[in-house]
Amino acid sequence: MSNKEKKSKGISRRKFLVRGGLGTLGVLAVGTYVFRNPLRRSMLEMAETMAPTYMGSGTEPNLWFELTKENKVIFHSPKVEMGQGSFTSFAQMIADEMDLNIDQITVIGAATKTGVVDAMSTGGSLSVGGLWQPLRELSATMREMLKIEAAKKLGIDVSSLSTKEGIISGGGKTMTYAEVANDITEWDIPDTPELKPMKDYKFIGKPVKRIDLNAKVFGDPIFGLDAEMPDMLLAAIIRPSVVGAKFKSADTTKAEKMPGVVKVVLMDDWVGVIAKSYAQALAAKYKINVDWTIEKRYTEEDLRNMLQVGKGNQSITQKAGTALNSNDNDVISMEFTSPIGAHAQIEPNGAVADYNNGDITIILSTQVPGATQKVVAEAFDVDTEKVNIIPTYLGGGFGRRLNTNHAVQAVQLSKEVGKPVKYIFTRKEEFQHDLFRPPTHHIMKGKLNNDGYLEALEHHYASGDVAVNALIMPRILTSVLGTDLGAMRGGQIMYDKVPNHRAVQWHTTLPFATSWWRSLGLLANTFAIESFVDEMAIRAEKNPVDFRLASISNEGNKKRLYDVIKLAAEKGKYNDKPVNGRAMGFAASTDANSPAAHVVEVSIEDNSIKVHKVTCAFDCGVVVNPDQVKAQCEGSIIMGMSGAMFEKMTLEDGELTPTIYGPYDMALMKHAPKQIDIHFIQGADIPLPVGEPPMGPIGAAVSNAVRRLTGKRLTDLPLKLS
Amino acid sequence: MKKASIVYVIPILLVTGILLASNLKAPTAYIPVSSNEAVKKGASDENYNKMMDVLVSPRCINCHPNDNIPKQGDDGHPHYFGMSRGENNLGYQATKCTTCHQSENNDYSGVPGAPEWSLAPASMMWEGLSRKEIAESMLDPERNGGRNHEELMHHLTEHELVLWAWEPGVRADGTPRKLPPVPLDEYISAVKQWFEDGAVIPAE
Amino acid sequence: MKIAFTINGSSQTVDIEDGNTPLLWVIRDILDLKGTKFGCGKAACGACTIMVEGEEVRSCSYAVKFAEGKKITTIEGLGTPENPHPVQQAWIEEVVPQCGYCQPGFMMATAALLEKVPNPTDDDIDQNIINVCRCATYYRMRKAIHRAAEIKNNSNS
Repeated sequence: MSNKEKKSKGISRRKFLVRGGLGTLGVLAVGTYVFRNPLRRSMLEMAETMAPTYMGSGTEPNLWFELTKENKVIFHSPKVEMGQGSFTSFAQMIADEMDLNIDQITVIGAATKTGVVDAMSTGGSLSVGGLWQPLRELSATMREMLKIEAAKKLGIDVSSLSTKEGIISGGGKTMTYAEVANDITEWDIPDTPELKPMKDYKFIGKPVKRIDLNAKVFGDPIFGLDAEMPDMLLAAIIRPSVVGAKFKSADTTKAEKMPGVVKVVLMDDWVGVIAKSYAQALAAKYKINVDWTIEKRYTEEDLRNMLQVGKGNQSITQKAGTALNSNDNDVISMEFTSPIGAHAQIEPNGAVADYNNGDITIILSTQVPGATQKVVAEAFDVDTEKVNIIPTYLGGGFGRRLNTNHAVQAVQLSKEVGKPVKYIFTRKEEFQHDLFRPPTHHIMKGKLNNDGYLEALEHHYASGDVAVNALIMPRILTSVLGTDLGAMRGGQIMYDKVPNHRAVQWHTTLPFATSWWRSLGLLANTFAIESFVDEMAIRAEKNPVDFRLASISNEGNKKRLYDVIKLAAEKGKYNDKPVNGRAMGFAASTDANSPAAHVVEVSIEDNSIKVHKVTCAFDCGVVVNPDQVKAQCEGSIIMGMSGAMFEKMTLEDGELTPTIYGPYDMALMKHAPKQIDIHFIQGADIPLPVGEPPMGPIGAAVSNAVRRLTGKRLTDLPLKLS
Repeated sequence: MKKASIVYVIPILLVTGILLASNLKAPTAYIPVSSNEAVKKGASDENYNKMMDVLVSPRCINCHPNDNIPKQGDDGHPHYFGMSRGENNLGYQATKCTTCHQSENNDYSGVPGAPEWSLAPASMMWEGLSRKEIAESMLDPERNGGRNHEELMHHLTEHELVLWAWEPGVRADGTPRKLPPVPLDEYISAVKQWFEDGAVIPAE
Repeated sequence: MKIAFTINGSSQTVDIEDGNTPLLWVIRDILDLKGTKFGCGKAACGACTIMVEGEEVRSCSYAVKFAEGKKITTIEGLGTPENPHPVQQAWIEEVVPQCGYCQPGFMMATAALLEKVPNPTDDDIDQNIINVCRCATYYRMRKAIHRAAEIKNNSNS
């Protein structure tokens, strides 16, 4: 990086602010981190390499750090914490560059009114990677700023000062950071200092314990639904059970007489009940009869007719060599499907909202504070600055909270009663008004050459919306590219040495909302591609690991994929023959530039698939926190198993069903493998996405093991033996 | 003696049946089950059939499984989350029936409840048996927990857990759970009469 | 109606119109103990698991009137950072939580299990620990449950 470029990315002197704050001594607010054309760059990279970018907007007074009297630093994170562990990684970065201990750092989600909120979202596994450079640079700059002031206060040259654990020392004197910051209102901002070499980091790269561990183990009130405001009322909302149903009329007389009910609110497409307690709101809700206008009751058959390769908007997303000729007798073709998937995060959606003469405050679990702020401001016709979104810890995100427009309903309810209102989704509402993982349909085609290796490989796939029509995606992008970038995840052929390969997407917008679900198209696309590749290896009578390696370049960025495949096979002792009633399955994927490969060991018990062991090799570049990256791998693997082996929503007589855990079958304790071994390769010098990529291979790996054990190729998710 | 009484009983049953049917304005939750054949066979058979219509309904059979796994719903699917009989018919060591099921139905959760909520002991496996086999099992002291007729009648007509079937509460989605196919009073008198008539199991 | 019970060692009396109100909402919104979570309200996910008289109970399906005279324990009463319950200690050692929302329910179910089965086998765990964790932290939870049993048994001996 040239010096000039470095400066352009440094901290803008003009934007640096100092603010006083309640209970804080000196509040340090550092201006925005400037990128040139961040949106354009980010989009292009998202589509291509998935290099993490951070897109903080610079229009607001941007609060990043507070330094408290107790000599602690509060970091206002532009990214939220939903379990992925990024708050801990941020603390590690701050601690290392600012010379603090981990326990001297508190991380909270930035509110839109006071802090920097990522204009995009928290998602795409981009949090740690995205803040890797800016957060370390900011922390190093802060450290130098404190040193400059300390030098003045102590009368010692800055070059002879050192910093450790929040204390500045030199010439036999010491001062805490808090003592230095006391009374300082004007700060000198140096050029961005040189960052420390990796080897000097005390926290980065180490298995530091999650900073939110105690809060989560002792039951602290940290989640959106735990939030309260003074004099708050509670509310439930009725939404239609039938897809596409429109509100016609409602009889609310019984509900209005129910105990505790304050008001029943009739809106265009929903009915709200506000009561003194949530139980009272729920009890009253069941007394309301709503008439809905239902034009059509969609069925699963309708869905499958709509969603087919060959229907909808076609885009060729990858093309090398020539297309396969379907009259060619040597072409092998197979079909695969995946069902609708629900997010099923355990914390239901909801929001605590206060509408006060056009000043709006909303506390909620969200991955998109910025987008929610805009939507609410538009809905109530107020300036964006009037809306303060305060994000909390999320009781699961998984992409569900990349749209939290239900904040609008919460504000409406508050406006109706002139008091703060907490609105909580019922579980049925969660299941029927989710933004589902779209169902998919895949046709794989391939051909072997004379040596029994892949000569051609084609992935034709149909999907509902993922990125298209999503709240956080600029519409222009879809119309320019003509492709759903989310559905594309994992859909490209990663075997670059196959002379003829292509990927063709067929995109259809379904009658119900589908959108981001952890790893997007990855789970289903990899299931189709990697099941088929395994099948081709069987036809070629080749070891599936060698078969794959023969089709991947062992150089450049592809080497990373090559290496994880080799390492997984080696560490998992992959054997393509079943032994003692157990078989192994192999699969790999490259998602978001973080390649992963799994070896799974499977047996059949009581006609069910039992996964005993998973060995995972993963290259996500720099591992900031090995313990938490492992946790993400373990979670991705088991959640991926859940999605691939159990979960399924169906459209029955117009309703999305089931609407409760249990009937919505998910992986439980008893399904989790007893052994999961994770092996890292560092094939890049920055942290790359972690939270989603290791999910990719799991469905195919399990299916491939079942094929080798039973001879039966399962082509539909969820994987069922009969 | 037995044969003579049939003559009088049949017309009465028929008349009350018609009266009951005509009195009901809204569609009833109960499905009429008295088949002509049963009526012809006589009062005892009629009582027997009424009783058995109830005993084979999901409200009863779901807790008399043949595989130690409680059943749920009108389709008798296995209880979700892998719940099972456990050592004393009350579930596992810590996660038991009473972790979720209390002594009353819960309308908020849709979880059913009644006093002594539990599975019937393993000896009382009815699921999958014919009506005749269930009746035989029920009368067999080896399998019915050593109950005599009097005690059986008590269980069938007074035990709160059994009577729960007529107040089964709402499902998780808030809709009412399906009732047994015979109204409670009719069921009770049929059971009592059947035992008084000697608890004769008709040939199938 | 007035209902009196002991929660986490302290006596409480609540005055509530509807005795059928799920105990969950009384704990969360009247007693302001937010560690017990609302997940589904249908006794399906286990996020609201507490102990009543030492027995595992899902509080979303437990009418407050049944709490009369009972001893209730929630996650807040299980242990403190200074004096953690063996289950909490094990959860910290194994760094179990991710999003953390379901964890109090799992820890309460585990604490109840260890009261009944001091050395649970994997089968005991599979059968008794049937809450839902969407982050799928099950792998670490199993380790933590075994570890908790070890800590608890060591401190007892």
